[in-house]
Parts: sequence; structure tokens; C-alpha cells
Amino acid sequence: MKGSLGTSLILHTLVLGAALVSLSAPASFEVADVEALPVDIIPVESITQMQQGDKKAPMSEKPSPKETKNQKVVEGAENAGENDLDLKTPPTPARKPTPTEAAAAPKPVERPMPTPTPEQNDVKDIVPEETAPKPTEMAALPQPKPEIAPTPPKPEPTPPPKPEPTPAPAEAKSEDIPLPDAVPLPAAKPKPEPPKEEAKPVEKPVEKPVEKKPETAKPTETAKAAEKPTDKKEGKKQETAKSSSSKASDFNADEIASLLNKQEASGGGAKRSSSPASTGSTKPSTGAKLSQSEMDALRGQIQKNWSVIAGIEGADGVLIRVTMKLDQTGEIVGEPEVEASGGSDNARRTLQASALRAVRRSAPFKNLPADKYDAWSEVVVNFDPSELL
Amino acid sequence: MEHEVLAAAASDVSLWSLFMQAGLVVKLVMIGLIGASVWTWAIVIDKYVSFGKAKRQFDQFEQVFWSGQSLEELYRTLSERQNNGLAAIFVAAMREWKKSFERGARSPIGLQMRIDRAMDVTMAREAETYEARLGSLATIGSAGPFIGLFGTVVGIMTSFQAIAGSKSTNLAVVAPGIAEALLATAIGLVAAIPAVIAYNKFTADAGKLSARMEGFADEFSAILSRQIDEKLQPRQAAQ
Repeated sequence: MKGSLGTSLILHTLVLGAALVSLSAPASFEVADVEALPVDIIPVESITQMQQGDKKAPMSEKPSPKETKNQKVVEGAENAGENDLDLKTPPTPARKPTPTEAAAAPKPVERPMPTPTPEQNDVKDIVPEETAPKPTEMAALPQPKPEIAPTPPKPEPTPPPKPEPTPAPAEAKSEDIPLPDAVPLPAAKPKPEPPKEEAKPVEKPVEKPVEKKPETAKPTETAKAAEKPTDKKEGKKQETAKSSSSKASDFNADEIASLLNKQEASGGGAKRSSSPASTGSTKPSTGAKLSQSEMDALRGQIQKNWSVIAGIEGADGVLIRVTMKLDQTGEIVGEPEVEASGGSDNARRTLQASALRAVRRSAPFKNLPADKYDAWSEVVVNFDPSELL
Repeated sequence: MEHEVLAAAASDVSLWSLFMQAGLVVKLVMIGLIGASVWTWAIVIDKYVSFGKAKRQFDQFEQVFWSGQSLEELYRTLSERQNNGLAAIFVAAMREWKKSFERGARSPIGLQMRIDRAMDVTMAREAETYEARLGSLATIGSAGPFIGLFGTVVGIMTSFQAIAGSKSTNLAVVAPGIAEALLATAIGLVAAIPAVIAYNKFTADAGKLSARMEGFADEFSAILSRQIDEKLQPRQAAQ
């Protein structure tokens, strides 16, 4: 027995010794080094709401409006576009101006052409024919005047200078000054004047030969025409002055000018985009929505003022939905709508009335974020009265 | 071999450091179980050797016994040395035979009974030596896992107390304590499994040897009773 015990001991020490030597700590599991990922909690609205972009552009990771060439940053701009002013109107396409320019350009060129020709000087019988289109030629007429000076000497040397000296200095002065004014005058304004022209020539023929009537009469007309618009302009200035004084704060001349301009593509916002266009909404989205806690705060204000009568029969399962409009201060605008569903008729009516009372009592709602007024201008609050019991 | 595998499976850190980290109770349990394992293997080796030897002696003796050699001569050679097994039974029976005849036995039935008793006593003594220590194998086989489990429970208990103290549930804090506690169960199993196997095998072997001894005793008893009849009848006839 001693021998076998000895051998057993020796065997055990051998095995344990081998185990201690060979079986040291087993290889620890290889764990891949995973870097800690920063996690941001983003409200779902920022993803689900349509972001500003281009409707027709292909989809990409981030919606973005069409890339703008103008990269001058305008602060507070919401609408994408090339404009320097932030306008809500969409930019008018650049195609339209080109046909109008092509159609308009030749006309002014054709009409002045006949006026510089010497025909007027040679044949004065044609002049009555020209009286018909007068109104349109008003802009061109001042030009022939210098030519008139050499022409009168031919038929009658004396008569023309006499009437002219007295009006001439006035006319000459008036002509020199109003000329630039007369050029931009709209073509439509002189139209009502033709009757005056007809009346005035009647006075003048007494002094002058019939042939010269139109030529001499014209300068006076222009002078009068020049005087009248100035009066009107003064009137307008006064008016604008009055309007500007009354509405000093909101007035933006540039904005109005660009809105009135139908000719050039002046619409569009001033928000710049540096990335290529991709799918999104063309309307700027603010992404403002009441958060859950803000909604709960609003509900809490109503619940605080709500005394639910305990023990109403059939109150289980009644759901109340309050729809109300609020103004900036949190006051209720108009009558809040209270709808009730489920439960018995009696319970529904009772709870509906008590809900309306509670809403009215908690009227100026507080702690609503002013910058999100768009989101709470109209609020829908759902209640389960059984939770309040 | 089992020892290595199981021990390795249970260890998370090196075996020695696991053992050293363990608490006092767990350490005692481990040491006790290692001792039990040593004892088990000592018995296994001892029994294996002694049973093999006994079998060989049985075969050898039977060969000599049935070779037709004179029983007197065989007794003379065997009685001079220490005997085991069949030889011991034969010597015991022959000694009783000799004593009875030298003093002049009267009753053949009484002689037969005395010889049978002597053989039974020797056989019982021999069987006892064969079955000795098999009981401890059975105890180790059945109690080993429980002792190991006790060590594990105590170890896990203390390691959970330590975790509660450290206020950290990190697996790196929990793992070593549990691994160390599990080592106790592993050692318990390492000791118990061979013990159970060895116990079953050696009880069967001991049973076979006992049956063989009984068979021989019966045969030898038959031979002796015939001899008694042959030797006592001429004496009675002479009277």
C-alpha cells in the first residue's frame, strides 16, 4: 500500500506540475478595439420634415437648393436664390425677356429713321400727315428743331424771328433743361394732350403762315408738356413723402422696385447654396414643433384647472380632444372646440363641459416658446379623463 | 489526463494564481480533494497490482494442486512461507487435518466440520483483504462532487460579497472569483470520476476472486471428506 500511495503521490505531483507549467492562463479572448461612438439624440422632426432643396433635382443625402453663383451672404435670408434681396416670389425664368427685347428693339429704330431724313425740310405738305402719329413721335421731335433754324429764312425771313424772341429764350431755356426729362417720359402721358395742341394752333395761325404751324407749335407743346409732368412729379413727391412719413418703418424701395419689375428675372431669395441641388422642399422649413415636454406643460396647465367629477357613470373610455387657437400672448382666440368620444352620452356631455371650463380657466397659457408661435398658434390637446380621476 | 483537461477548462487565469486567490474554506476543500484524488489513485494502483498478483497465484496453485503431487508434500513446502488466497485456504485445511489425526480423532463428522470452519475463516480473511479500501473509493466517488460543489458555493458567495463591496458589475471583476470557485468543483470531479470507475471494477474483481476461493474450498472439502472416510474406516474395522 505504501508503495502504491507513493506512486500515486508522485503521479499527482507530476501531473499537477505539468499542468501548472503548461497550462498557464489561457489566451484571453480577442476583443476588437471598438472606439466609443458619439451619439447625438436628434428629434425626429429634423429628419422627417422636408428640408429646403430642389424639387426636381436627384436625391442625395442632404437636401439642398440649386447652387447659386452669387455667393454674397445675406443675413437672415430664407429663400434660396441669386437675388440680393430676400423675396418670397420665385425667380421668373430668363427665357421671357429675350423675345420681348427682339420685338421691341427694331421699332424705336424704324421710327426715328424718317424724322432725320431731309424730307421734312423739303416738302412741308407731308407735315399734316405726320400730325396723326404725333403722340408717339414726341420723343423724337425735339431733334429736328435745330434744323428748323436754318429752314425758316427760305420762305419768310422776318416773321419767324419776331414771335420767336419772346417765347424763344423761355423755350430755349426750357428746351435745354427739360430735354433729359422729356426723354424718359412715358409714351402714354402725352396722349390726352393732342386736343390741347389742336386748340393752341388755332391761336398761333394768326401770327404765322399755315405751313409753319406744326413746327412752331411743337416747341410750345413740348414746353408745356415738360411743365405739366414736373407739376405732377412734385405732386407725387408730396404723396410719397406723406406715405413715407406714415410708413417709415416697413418701407423698402428696393423691394418694391424689384417686385414691380416684370421685365427682368428679379424674384428669388438671397440664401446662398454652395452644394449641388438635391431633392427637397422649395419652401424654407423651420422645423419648429412643440416638444413633448412643452406639450405636457400645456396639458398640465389645463389639467390643473380641471376638476373632474368623480363617479360619473360610463366615464370609462371617454376621450376628449380640445382644439383651440392662441395668440402670441397665450390667450385663446375665439371659442375652443371640445370634442368627446366614447363612454355614455351623459358622461360625455358632463366631461365636455368640464373640459371647456378648464380650458377657459387656464386661459393665458404660459411657458410657450415665443419663437415657435407657428407651432402653437393652433393647438390640439388630447385628454383621457380616466387618468385624472 | 482527465485531470489536466478538467483543470484547464475550469481555469481562467493560471491554476496557481487561481488557487492562491481562493479563500481559506475553498483552499481547504481543494487540498482535501487533491488528497482524496491521491488516495484514490494509490488504492487503484495497489488493487490493480494485488489483484493481478492474486490471480497469478491462484492460477499457479491450481496448476500445482491438480498436477497429482502428494498433498503432504505440497503442505510441507507451502507451510514454511506466508500464503495468500487458495494456498492459505489449503494450508489452513491441512493444518486442521494434521492436528486432528496426530491426536487421534474419533468422529469423522467433527473433523469434517472443523476443517470447513478453518477454510471459511481463512476465506473470509482473504476476501476482506481483497475488498479492503474499496469502501473509501466508493465514498470518494459519491462525496467528491458534493465537496467540490460546497467549495464552489462558498467561493461564489465570497466573490459576490466582494462584488457587492466593489460596486462594479464589470465582467472582469466577476469572472476571476467565479473561475476560482469553479476550480473546486473541477477538482472534486477529477477525484470522484476515477474513484467511481475503480470502485465498480474492483468490487467485481473481488467478487470473482471470492467465488473462485469458495469453489476451491468446496472441492478441497470434498477431497478431504473422502480421505477421512478412507482413513477412519480401517481403524474402526480393526477395533
